[in-house]
Amino acid sequence: MEIKFKTLVAPEIKRGCLMGNMFNALGSLWKGMKITIYYLTHPSTVVTQQYPENRETLKMMDRFRAQLTMAHDENGHHTCTACGICDQNCPNGSINVVDRKNPITGKKELDRYIWRMDSCTFCNICVQVCPFGTLEMKGNFEASVYDRRLFVYTLNKYAGPDQKNLLKIENLDDRKKQMESRDIFGGPVPLSGQSIAGLEAGVFDQLRKTEEAATNG
Amino acid sequence: MSVIVSSLEQRIRADNLKESPLSTQEYFVNMGPQHPSTHGVLRMVVKLDGETVREVIPVLGYIHRGIEKMGESFGYRQFVHMTDRIDYLSALINNWAVSMTVEKAAKIELNDRIQIIRTIMAELQRIQSHQLWWGVFGMDMGAFTPFLYGFRDREIITDIFEETIGARLTMNYIQPGGLMFDIHPNFQKRVKDFLKYFKPKLEEYETLLSGNVILQERVRNVGIMDAKTAISIGATGPVLRASGVKHDLRKLDPYGVYDKVDFDVPVGRIGDCWDRYWVRIEEIKQSMRIVEQLIDNIPEGKTMLMKPAVKIKLPEGTYYSQVETPRGVLGVFVVSDGKDKPYRIHLRTPNFNNIWSITEMSSNWRLGDLVAMLSSLDVVVPDIDR
Repeated sequence: MEIKFKTLVAPEIKRGCLMGNMFNALGSLWKGMKITIYYLTHPSTVVTQQYPENRETLKMMDRFRAQLTMAHDENGHHTCTACGICDQNCPNGSINVVDRKNPITGKKELDRYIWRMDSCTFCNICVQVCPFGTLEMKGNFEASVYDRRLFVYTLNKYAGPDQKNLLKIENLDDRKKQMESRDIFGGPVPLSGQSIAGLEAGVFDQLRKTEEAATNG
Repeated sequence: MSVIVSSLEQRIRADNLKESPLSTQEYFVNMGPQHPSTHGVLRMVVKLDGETVREVIPVLGYIHRGIEKMGESFGYRQFVHMTDRIDYLSALINNWAVSMTVEKAAKIELNDRIQIIRTIMAELQRIQSHQLWWGVFGMDMGAFTPFLYGFRDREIITDIFEETIGARLTMNYIQPGGLMFDIHPNFQKRVKDFLKYFKPKLEEYETLLSGNVILQERVRNVGIMDAKTAISIGATGPVLRASGVKHDLRKLDPYGVYDKVDFDVPVGRIGDCWDRYWVRIEEIKQSMRIVEQLIDNIPEGKTMLMKPAVKIKLPEGTYYSQVETPRGVLGVFVVSDGKDKPYRIHLRTPNFNNIWSITEMSSNWRLGDLVAMLSSLDVVVPDIDR
């Protein structure tokens, strides 16, 4: 087969005489040292970030995928209809959508949206396939916790109808009655009201607060 | 008791076993699976005579995760994200390989925008892979500074990826039917800034490491593999090109927009470690040329042509497509029985073939040279085992 494309051939490094080689060798070492000395004496070229110290100013990219969250509007309503498309499309079963029947209307609605961070690979397929734009990936990358049960999140803040159906109810009190509050770590798999050995009392309130602060902003 | 010695090798060995103050004995040493210069969990059983390497037997399987088998229980769209994890330094190119197979089977015509963005991303990925290899190569040769410099410059590309894609290593960006996101508004500016920044840095690389006499003495004429051996082993990528074979899928079987851009293919002269080093450094320059030509010419258009929630079903049959990753040819072979999940997926990964060239090139070199040879192959171990 004829090779039509242009190729570049590696150059040959020639060996010279003994003294020439020695001077070349010393020269090459000096040239390399010059670069390292340049960086040593120019602190403006330093690119290292002092991580825990710069937490206040550290800003992740907008699209950074580190935590799955469910968008809630200013009234606290989400748009999830418990259709389960994300559940079907998740490659590693990290998402479990638990639905229930509304006690009043009898319609299907979201009970718990369980997301297991410990098996998630952050492939973003769930966000892509959601027809209602309910899910989004947030950039909260500090995910380490003391107990692996804390990796099981309940993403919805209430069990009940989605935004569209809630807005049909005009009386605010009736609307509130339809929304049963859900805890971020209160799912059926983890904790179940137990405490975790080695953690002080009240740590969940604190965790919840940091979690909420992270998901909101 | 008499010992019957037949072959020459046995006779030499028998002589060595005689009691003498100067006698040596061949012995086996495990290099790895936890050796820093095997870049992961590669185990090599090395047959040593003193410090001279007589034989190298790579032992695989320490990071086998059964990705091919897992592919049989995933849909095609879900399988793409597994390919991030075979050769993690060329995640986007691996994604492209699977996407290309699916698109070929489903007969989807892509627009120019998708093709050009894919090509730019793939070349950026090639640059960052070679940057990391350069740093690690320096570190294996005993110079720690290149490692830091390589990572410093690689950080800029991973930032570019992070802004557009949202991930730095396991990206899952190139999907069947298009791209996960459109490019970020800052993307073009950032890439141009990077090219402007990196050109003088590459010269710095050359001065710091390529011109260094210690490196040259350690890589020149070490680990020579001729073209015939390289082809018979099935080596691809820079390893094959360094042996003087003009083989590059971007030229021979163009995909994306590689047939529309102008770039040269660097090949080596004799196939020693220096040629493999030089080929990769030169490939960085050529990749930068490709990105430069494309970055201003991204046309408008849609970036996703399939609905992401719809399950992909391929017609019955077998499909194959291949791409050139930074380490060689990645082939994806899909057998479909008409359902939404593949009947069988096979991945022809470049490192699996490249690693066996170490058995050919390493005999009668010293143990220290073995490290140089292994590093010049640029092995990524999860790609061997998948």
